[in-house]
Amino acid sequence: MSGIVCALRGGPASQPTINRAVSLAKETALPLFFLYVVNLEFLDRTASSRTHTISKEMAQMGEFILLTAQTKAEAQGITAQGIIRHGNVTEEITALCHEVGADYLVMGQPQIQKDDNVFTAVLHQAFVAQIEAQTGAKVVLAEEA
Amino acid sequence: MPDSLRFPLSITLLVVIGLLLAVPWHNARGQAPETTLLITGAVYDSQDQPVADALVSLHEANNDEALTETLTQPNGRYSLTLPETIPNQLTVWVEREHFQPEIVRLDTDAMQSLHAGQPIVLPVTILQRQITASFWIATLIFIGMLALIAFGKLHNTLAALLGMSAVFAVSYLGRPLSEELFIFTFRGALHYVDWNVIFLIMGMMIVIAVVERTGVFQWLAFAAYRLSKGRIWLLVIILMAVTGVASAALDNVTTMLLMTPITVQIALALGINPLALLIPEVMASNVAGISTLIGTPTNILIGSYAGLSFNDFLTNLTPGVLLAMLGLILYTQFVYRQELRANKANGVSALMVEKLAERAQITEPDHLKKAGIIGAFMLILFVAGEAIHLVPAVTAIMGATALLVWIRPDIEEMIEAVDWTTLVFFIGLFVVVGAVQEVGLISIIADGIGNLVGSNLLLAVLVVTWFSALLSTVIANIPFTAAMLPVVGYLTATIPGAQSNVLFYCLSVGSAMGGNGSLIGASANMVTAGIAERAGYAISYAYFFKKGFPALLITVSLATLWLIFHFL
Repeated sequence: MSGIVCALRGGPASQPTINRAVSLAKETALPLFFLYVVNLEFLDRTASSRTHTISKEMAQMGEFILLTAQTKAEAQGITAQGIIRHGNVTEEITALCHEVGADYLVMGQPQIQKDDNVFTAVLHQAFVAQIEAQTGAKVVLAEEA
Repeated sequence: MPDSLRFPLSITLLVVIGLLLAVPWHNARGQAPETTLLITGAVYDSQDQPVADALVSLHEANNDEALTETLTQPNGRYSLTLPETIPNQLTVWVEREHFQPEIVRLDTDAMQSLHAGQPIVLPVTILQRQITASFWIATLIFIGMLALIAFGKLHNTLAALLGMSAVFAVSYLGRPLSEELFIFTFRGALHYVDWNVIFLIMGMMIVIAVVERTGVFQWLAFAAYRLSKGRIWLLVIILMAVTGVASAALDNVTTMLLMTPITVQIALALGINPLALLIPEVMASNVAGISTLIGTPTNILIGSYAGLSFNDFLTNLTPGVLLAMLGLILYTQFVYRQELRANKANGVSALMVEKLAERAQITEPDHLKKAGIIGAFMLILFVAGEAIHLVPAVTAIMGATALLVWIRPDIEEMIEAVDWTTLVFFIGLFVVVGAVQEVGLISIIADGIGNLVGSNLLLAVLVVTWFSALLSTVIANIPFTAAMLPVVGYLTATIPGAQSNVLFYCLSVGSAMGGNGSLIGASANMVTAGIAERAGYAISYAYFFKKGFPALLITVSLATLWLIFHFL
């Protein structure tokens, strides 16, 4: 198998990532997989025991986010698959790359944030190196709009 | 058991338990009249609050050896039994940790009465506070706990547990080194734990766990969408109303946990920024939650402490909440006017709307129906229970049990659904707040506010409301409210006209509506921001403050006006 994995969070910041993934799919004719990871760590300090409550709702929200990306790809002639995973963002991206034998992994540009987001600059670089080493997939960073 | 029998059994169980609890058992065992010769009296602190567990002993003159001794009751009263032989001179010693000891010499008239075989009532003994090392240690522990919670360095529950452990460690390990390090015993600490609050929250959590799995929130949100017919300005009003009602009946965090994902989906389907719907929703949740006793943890704390019933909140606070909601709706319509005036035809995704409609199904209609019936009975008991002294905690536990018996869910799942971390947080919090109350910090704060407002009730209303609202923007409102309760209790007891409990309603308004002033002001805000961020719509501190602080000013002002109009 081969393909392009595009990890999404949604919102305006994801639009360049979607665009880059779609254009890459057109260039390479590889299958495109949009990935949304349901990660509920943000509830750890406020409502840690409530993760069971909203796991399903968060997955449905993720489906909508993927649907917007899929619709956009469809409009450009690319049929993309949407995949929902639950758990740690890094681990799930890695796992999907393994599963589909990804040639490319399309991600957003890192944003420096104060929180423990996986996409902080240092972690991003380490993550890129890790993914490329583990899967052989080339990491493509989408330019900001 | 056949399903048809479960309903009558559940209702019977509910009613029987209610009746059993309503029976005045304390009268069942008659008490023999006391005929022993007594010296009675009461011990109060400088704020006219009864002092419990003070050691009161009777001495001959200044002899250290006590002839007899007793402890004061929670109402501060004591009764000393006299020895058979009454000496010519008697003194009553009153001792209590964290207070200066007092010695009362019985005057000639009192001694003559005693020798004549007549019991006497001594004037109230006022104990003055004594600031010791334990005062500073307990204060530091309390501030440390608040700081850990405010800066997110530890989970709330862990911070409260750490504070509680520190209080006990100082009390038990420090006492052998110095008596001044003693704060209170484990038994003394338990007196500060409000079990009414714990059981009420636990019972409601079980009921909520059943309701939240029925899909009713998704159904309601989609119904709001359909009702609005695509008019976004109307959609946001309906969503605010739905969220407000749900927050008054359940708790704010659960409401926003369930409303946020579906709201994001509706916004994506309509092609609008989800924050235009989410921010008004969470602000409505913070405002409307206080219209009932069970709507917010702070109301549960206040209601239990001040003895305010479900009806009290409904009659005294709900009109003010409606007024504040009206102001909030107008404000949100103005502040999000660009998003709300968007042409619906521009961004609606037919595919997504179709998916929304598919998902907007009641997934467990049978459970929802049963929860509705039990909920209605609970509401009746909440409202009518006051007449038979049925405390809300008992209603909540009875309702939860009846619901579990009737629908027979997986009991393990239901028990897991109880937010034990929150319950443990409350226990730890009660102990730490009890520690600062025990050592006198709360009294000092109460004195300070008392001196500031004097006997001016209007000023007290303004100070309590706005002090609570502004502080709730930076301090977690639950520990803040727990600490403020004795302060407000003191002001209520001392300010003429405050006996209507108006200041407790001020605390409720301030601590809940103050949550709109900042992102960290309420747990519901944090939960909403967390979910929105997972959808790619981050809510920054600055963004929330910009939208939320004016909402705080508007809603708290309107609620304050209502309180002044209603009570003064």
